[in-house]
Amino acid sequence: MSAYLQKLVEGKIDFEGQKLVERIARDTLIAATVISFLAGFALQSIRVTFGLFALFVVALSIAVVPPWPAYNRHPVKWLPAVDTKAT
Amino acid sequence: MHTVYSRINNVSAMLSTCIMGLLAAVSLSTFLFTADPKGTLSVSSIQVFPGNARRYANKNQDFAFVNFNVTADLTPLFNWNTKQLFLYVSAEYESKRGVKNEVVIWDRIVRRKEDAQLSVAGRNKYVFRDMSASFKNASPANYSLKYNVMPYVGVLTYGEAAKTTHPVAFPERQELS
Repeated sequence: MSAYLQKLVEGKIDFEGQKLVERIARDTLIAATVISFLAGFALQSIRVTFGLFALFVVALSIAVVPPWPAYNRHPVKWLPAVDTKAT
Repeated sequence: MHTVYSRINNVSAMLSTCIMGLLAAVSLSTFLFTADPKGTLSVSSIQVFPGNARRYANKNQDFAFVNFNVTADLTPLFNWNTKQLFLYVSAEYESKRGVKNEVVIWDRIVRRKEDAQLSVAGRNKYVFRDMSASFKNASPANYSLKYNVMPYVGVLTYGEAAKTTHPVAFPERQELS
């Protein structure tokens, strides 16, 4: 039970998943900054800017923080165990 | 990025940098909006009465009571980055020895564009007295409506929207009958 809980809280993802998450987070945040600034400036409302930015952040957190199965598609291939007793 | 905690850590670091960039962009965008609204300010009546200073009941002081009319359209000052306008009417005069005085006699905070059409027939909100307890050495005063634009993010900017065309002299002190 505690091992399952630990796994859940840790939320590990494999290396390919990490690369993907890094790319998604960086691109989304930069796009969010630009889009929310332009939208707010066009509509002349600072509420639009920060509201839109907050929505982007919430969506990004949902997409990136939990360990979705999509981020575990390339698990590390460990070599088979070597029997140390053989001489 | 391997655990939930480190993903939250990474995303929040990038997030705070992006927010800083966004705030800098918002504050810089304010410089694109240049507005210099003008209005009119006139003093309809001014009286000087003697009275007692609030703190020291024995100290005799001159108090000036100014009634003024001010109209101004300050809506051009409202852009997306304007949080509120602080308006104030101030009297500027010199003493006989050349000391410049600037006294704020009325102010108002304007938070919405709809409230920025100013048309006020008011009197001084604050006690108008001279540091030297008497107005007999005061030069005629120029009254002006000044504004301070307070942004959501960025630098405070100041401006003057209206001024009396001729200086208004302080009358002789009237004794209360």
